Amino acid sequence: MNAKPGYTQVKRRTGALRIIHWVNVLSMMVAIATGLYIAAPYYQTFIAEGAVDKYVMGWNRWGHFMVAIIFDVTSIIIFYLTFFSRVDTPWKKVIPNKDNLKEFGAVLVNLLTLNRRKDFSSAHNDSFNITYFFIFHFLMIWMLLTGLQMYVHGLESGLSGIGTWWPTMLHLVTDWTIPAATFLIGSANPEAGGTLMDVRISHHITMWLLITWVVFHIYYQFWRTIFWKEGDISIIVGGSKYVKIEDGENS
Amino acid sequence: MSMQKEESVKKLFTAESAKVDTNKGDQYYEELYATCQDRIEDLKQLKPLNNRVDFTESIEEQGLGRRDFLQWASATTAMLMLPASFTPLVAEAAVLMNRVPVIWMELQDCAGNSEALLRSDGPKIDEIILDIISLEFHETLQAASGHQAEKQMNEAMEHFKGKYLLFVEGSVPLGNNGTYGTIGASGETFIDHLHRGAEGAAAIVAVGSCATFGGIPAAAPNPTDAVGVMDVIKGKPIINIPACPANPSNMVGVILHYVLTGTLPELDSLLRPKFAFGYRIHDNCERRAHFDAGEYVEEWGDEGAKNNFCLYKVGCKGPMTFNNCSIIRYNEGVNWPIGVGRGCIGCSEPDFWDKYAYERPMANANIKAPTGGVEKTVDEFGLGLLTVAGIGIGIHAAASAIAGKREDGGEY
Repeated sequence: MNAKPGYTQVKRRTGALRIIHWVNVLSMMVAIATGLYIAAPYYQTFIAEGAVDKYVMGWNRWGHFMVAIIFDVTSIIIFYLTFFSRVDTPWKKVIPNKDNLKEFGAVLVNLLTLNRRKDFSSAHNDSFNITYFFIFHFLMIWMLLTGLQMYVHGLESGLSGIGTWWPTMLHLVTDWTIPAATFLIGSANPEAGGTLMDVRISHHITMWLLITWVVFHIYYQFWRTIFWKEGDISIIVGGSKYVKIEDGENS
Repeated sequence: MSMQKEESVKKLFTAESAKVDTNKGDQYYEELYATCQDRIEDLKQLKPLNNRVDFTESIEEQGLGRRDFLQWASATTAMLMLPASFTPLVAEAAVLMNRVPVIWMELQDCAGNSEALLRSDGPKIDEIILDIISLEFHETLQAASGHQAEKQMNEAMEHFKGKYLLFVEGSVPLGNNGTYGTIGASGETFIDHLHRGAEGAAAIVAVGSCATFGGIPAAAPNPTDAVGVMDVIKGKPIINIPACPANPSNMVGVILHYVLTGTLPELDSLLRPKFAFGYRIHDNCERRAHFDAGEYVEEWGDEGAKNNFCLYKVGCKGPMTFNNCSIIRYNEGVNWPIGVGRGCIGCSEPDFWDKYAYERPMANANIKAPTGGVEKTVDEFGLGLLTVAGIGIGIHAAASAIAGKREDGGEY
C-alpha cells in the first residue's frame, strides 16, 4: 500500500507480535469472564439436570487455566523478544537515562496539553508508551505467578498428569508469592507467615488493575490515532503507521 | 524478627509439597518397626505416672469393646501413614500413653480445644486416650488453684525436665509488656509463663488456631498484639495443630507418633503435621461434584441447601484450606462442618478470622483496601478504580475534542 503524499510508511510490529497481541486480547476476555465466575459464580445453572450431566464450574476453570497457559507462553515469547528482537529494542526504552526521561516527559506533556506541544519523534515507539507496557508486563507476571500458586494448591499430593517435576517447580517458583501477597494485603498478625487467601485477594485486585490498564491503553491508542493523524491504530492491525515527512527528519 | 521471616521464606522455597511418601520401602519400615518395638519395651519398664487409670478398664467402662479399640487402632495407623503391620504397635502404644508426661498450658483463648475433648457426647477412643495421658498440669481441669497450682506446675516441670510434652492452647499477647494476660497467684504474664514451661519441654505442641497463628485474638485490629507460640519460642521442636477447635484425632495422632517413635511427624512449612494437613479440604469434600457442576446453595435453606449443593457461594473456603476434616471428620467420623450444611471457614489457616470466616465468596468480602482504612469489597474497589480511570479519560477526551475543534476552526 502506498502512503499518502507527504507521508512515509514506518514498519512497527512484526506479524508474530500482532498475532500475540490479539491472542492476548482474546485470552484476557476469557480470563476475566471465567475468573469472575470462579471468584463468585454469577450465573445459576439449571437445577433440573443432575450434577453428573453438567460441568459448569469445571468448564470455567478449564477455560481459565487454558488461557492462563496461553498467557504463560506468550509472556515467555514477549520476554525473549523484549531483549533479543531483531526489529525492536524495547528494553532500551525503559532504562531511566537522560534521553528516555526527556522523551517520557515530552510525551506526557503532549498528552496533558492535548497535543498542543509535540517535541519528539513519533516514528518509533516512545519511552512513555513502552513504560506503560512495562507496567502491564509487571502486573501480568504477578498475575501468572499468583495464579500458578493457587493452581498448585490442588496438586498437594505432589503428583500431576505430566509428572512430579511440575508441582515441584511450581512450588519453587511461586511459593514466595504467599508472604509477598500478605505483605501487600496486610495482616493483623504478620508473624504467622502469610496465608493462601492473600494470594487469591491479590490475584483478584490485580485483575481490576489490569482492566483499568486496558481501558486507558485503548483510549490512548485511539487518542493518538485521532490527534497525531498518523494512523497509529493500524500498527496493531497492519503492522505499520505513517509519519509526516518533515524537513530534515526523513533522510 | 527479620531473621525469622527469612527462615520462613526459606522454608517455603524448600517445601516440595505437602506430600508424604507413604511407601518408603520395606527396609525403612522394618527398621522403624524395630525402633518402635524397642521403645515400647522401654516404656513398659516405666511405671505409669500420676494418672493410674487403666486404659483397658477405661474403655470397658465406657461400653466399648476390644473390637472397637482395634478398629480405632487400624484407622489411626492409616491416618499416621504407617503400614497395616504397625497396628499392634499402635494399639500397644495407646495403652502406654500414660507413661508420657504432658503439661497443658492455657493462654489467651476460649478453652475451646479442651472443651472439644471434654464435651463430646459419649467419649470416643480418642477422648478416652486423652483422658488417660499423664496430664501433669492443666489449668482448666485440675482441682488445685492459686499457689497450689503453681507448686504443682513447678514440681511437674522439675520432675519431668526434658521429658514432658508441652501442649499450649491460646495465643500469646505481647502488647503492653504482655500484661494483657497474666496467670497464677504471682501475676506472671503469659509470655513468661510460656517461656518457663517451654524451657524443660521435650517438644511443644501448639493446639488450636490461637496457639498456632494467633487465631481470633490476633484478628484485626489485634488489640493485644497476640501471636502464636512459634513466633515466641525458638530453638525447640514445635508442632502446630491448628483448627478451631483442633481435632482430638490429630492431637492423639501426634502424641501417639511421639510415644511410638520418639520423634515428631513430618511437618509442612507452617509446622503442621503433614499426615493431617497435607490434604486440601476441597479435594476430599463429599460435595465436590456439585462444585464442578456449578450447583450452589444460593441462600441458607433454599432448594440447593436441601439437596446438599456446594456451599461455595455462601462462603465455603475449602478450596484454600488444608486439613483432614473432610476425611476423618470430627468425633471419630460422626460429622464435620460441610456435613451439617455450612461452609468451611478456613479455621486451620493463618489469619482465618479476617480472611476466611466471612461466609461469602472472597469477591464479596469486606477486606481492607491496600491503603488501609476504608473497607470495601474487592469488586467495589475495582469498579471504583475503573470509575476513576473512566472519569479521567472522559475529561481528557472532552478536553481533547474541544481543543481539536478549536484547532480545526483555526483559532490558533
